[in-house]
Amino acid sequence: MKKSLVLFAVLALLVPSFMFASGAKETVVDENAPVTIQYWTHEDPARTQLETELIDEFMKMNPNITVVRSTQASVKQIELVQTAFAANQGPDMFNLPIEDQYAYITNKRVAPVDYKAAGYADKQDLLDKYIPGVLDTVTVDGEVYGLPLELTNWSIYLNKKVFRSAGLNPETDYPKTWEEMADVSEKLVIRDGDILVRRGFDFRYPYYLNFFVPMVQQLGGDLLSADGKKAIIGDDAWIKVLTYFQQWGPSGRNLGSPTYKNARNLFNKDNNDIAMAHTGLYQEGRIEKDNPAFFNSGEWMVVPFPVFEDAVNDVASCYYGHFFMVNVDSPPAVQKAAWKLSGFLLSHGEDYLTRGGNIIQPTKALLASDTLKNMPYSQVFIDDMNRANMTYYGENSAQIQSLIRNAVESVMLGGVSPEKVLATLRASAQEIIDEQ
Amino acid sequence: MVPKKSYSIEKKQARWGFAFVIPSLVFFSVFNFYPILNAFYMSFFNRKALSKAPPKFIGLDNYMRLFNPETASNELSFINSLKSTMVFTLGTFIPLLILSLIIAVFISQLSSNKSKKFLQVAYYCPAILSSVVAATIWMLIFDPRGLGNQWMNILMGTPGTDHRWLVDPVMEQVSTMVIYFWKYIGYFVILFITGLASIPPTIYEASTIDGANKWQNFWRITLPLLKPTVVLVSVMAMLQCLKTFSTQYMLYSNGAPRAPINVITFNIYITGIQQQYLSRASAMSIVLFVLMLSLTLVQFKTTKSENVEY
Repeated sequence: MKKSLVLFAVLALLVPSFMFASGAKETVVDENAPVTIQYWTHEDPARTQLETELIDEFMKMNPNITVVRSTQASVKQIELVQTAFAANQGPDMFNLPIEDQYAYITNKRVAPVDYKAAGYADKQDLLDKYIPGVLDTVTVDGEVYGLPLELTNWSIYLNKKVFRSAGLNPETDYPKTWEEMADVSEKLVIRDGDILVRRGFDFRYPYYLNFFVPMVQQLGGDLLSADGKKAIIGDDAWIKVLTYFQQWGPSGRNLGSPTYKNARNLFNKDNNDIAMAHTGLYQEGRIEKDNPAFFNSGEWMVVPFPVFEDAVNDVASCYYGHFFMVNVDSPPAVQKAAWKLSGFLLSHGEDYLTRGGNIIQPTKALLASDTLKNMPYSQVFIDDMNRANMTYYGENSAQIQSLIRNAVESVMLGGVSPEKVLATLRASAQEIIDEQ
Repeated sequence: MVPKKSYSIEKKQARWGFAFVIPSLVFFSVFNFYPILNAFYMSFFNRKALSKAPPKFIGLDNYMRLFNPETASNELSFINSLKSTMVFTLGTFIPLLILSLIIAVFISQLSSNKSKKFLQVAYYCPAILSSVVAATIWMLIFDPRGLGNQWMNILMGTPGTDHRWLVDPVMEQVSTMVIYFWKYIGYFVILFITGLASIPPTIYEASTIDGANKWQNFWRITLPLLKPTVVLVSVMAMLQCLKTFSTQYMLYSNGAPRAPINVITFNIYITGIQQQYLSRASAMSIVLFVLMLSLTLVQFKTTKSENVEY
């Protein structure tokens, strides 16, 4: 009896080994059979409303296709998609920021675009529809692996009332350089002792690849060497930018800190909390939704991303993309249906721009359209994009961003010297590059 | 003809007992035993989360990397995670144990049942709050313009001082301890109250007749008879503190620096989920498992005593 009980217990413990050792997904080859697309995307109420309508229309046009759209907060989405793919249970179609998404291409987790299913005659037809270079990001060995849902860059939103209350003229006194940004912020801040009651400007923590790296590039430095083998180029540039952040933080001029509420959300409220915030064209829709009176008041404007006084490169804040990608392990019929859905959704670029969260799909047609040109301050964003680079993307970009975050926080909050922080950053970043 | 087997009543009962245990055994196997074995196995390979390539066997490299003394100067290293975990555990587990016992004794001695129930519920409430709600509450408190600075400045008469709850490395560690303490004290208070209720009141009556005061009752009766509960609570509190994650994650997500609060579980999350090094994270989790097992055994050994009988 005892032996049989022990044997039973051991077998029970081994049950999961058999369960988890089961084989791969079955392959469905019948293209006309009913298919279901699991589409995972990040939360955005305006886009959800639009895509729900578009997906309903798509399903009416394609009665054999069912689309299940699931949303998650953007940070959670990155982890969920990765965990699902690690367990070979990834969604059929998904989008992420390119710096997180690129690893899916290099690890052969996503399928090349099915041009015909997506509504293009061939690859050249697809390339011709988009602005030059935008698809290079997702092109590996001549194959295109994603279609751009959005291409976004950030400029500086400015509250004119706050400027005037500090005796500044927003039209002429807005900061053109980072040195001016600190000096103007000094005039705009209101403090209760050490505590900032009103900030002039604050950065877009923790997206350091998008704004910190361009600041380094303005001074001639870079994240990687041209061949991608050496990390942290141009020590002087890095030290200067790290010192700038040290001065910006609570131990320096005390102009801002990552521990305060994020600037872009406060900006919408127009509560005399913040004068300037760093965000994208999509913020216009959010201001209109959160505070229509402020949106319609004419009391806000958008100005370009500043440069350092001694900048050697005129570089604006990086732009980043979200791409629709399709799981290579999904059955062929599902892959085809997913590309068809992607193509259908992306054929409504003007809808996404006007009522889908003000996001820009980088087609030649949309960028030349009056709809975009007529949006307030859209030209500022277009001009900034023309002097910007795509954010650093690679298999290790999330790690690199995390290292830069730690470096900035160490100088800004931890009181560590920029030189020491740079040495640690270089060693850690180089280790990651070498491992890759 | 094969003779029919006959089973004793005990054996029949044992079979039924085993049948009832099977569901929990299967549950344990699927959600605990298999992941532990799998993590142990995985820790000898170099698996990355998204890679489809078969992982390469690398022996003890992951473990050697974790304990490489050259990385000690890096504040995000595993060695520093061990330090952060120890600081957090000692700073939280000892006050949790002592204060939950004091509060439980205080509540048990209240004469009004209504007050007892109210206090029990009030202390237990934070334990059932979701992490998101807890995060919202504490971010309102720790925001530089928030209630934390306002209260401290009123109490200390230091208007306008920013106490840097999430900025200063020491204050950040203290903040995580305060949040954790707030969230879990009610749970341990309830455990102590249950333990206190099991002590027969006749023992206190006898000691009172013999002339013992409340202080003597506590040290000579309550504490010795409560020893099994103290051991249980101390082991549970210590293990909970070693496994702490959500508090650190919450602060980090709201802009606090990572290094001072980079406890082992948080390092596992960053390494395995954000950086995709599943095998390296598995090695970390095995080290944490061994650490928890060892400390629990030490605690059992040092507090071992005869069973308490009334």
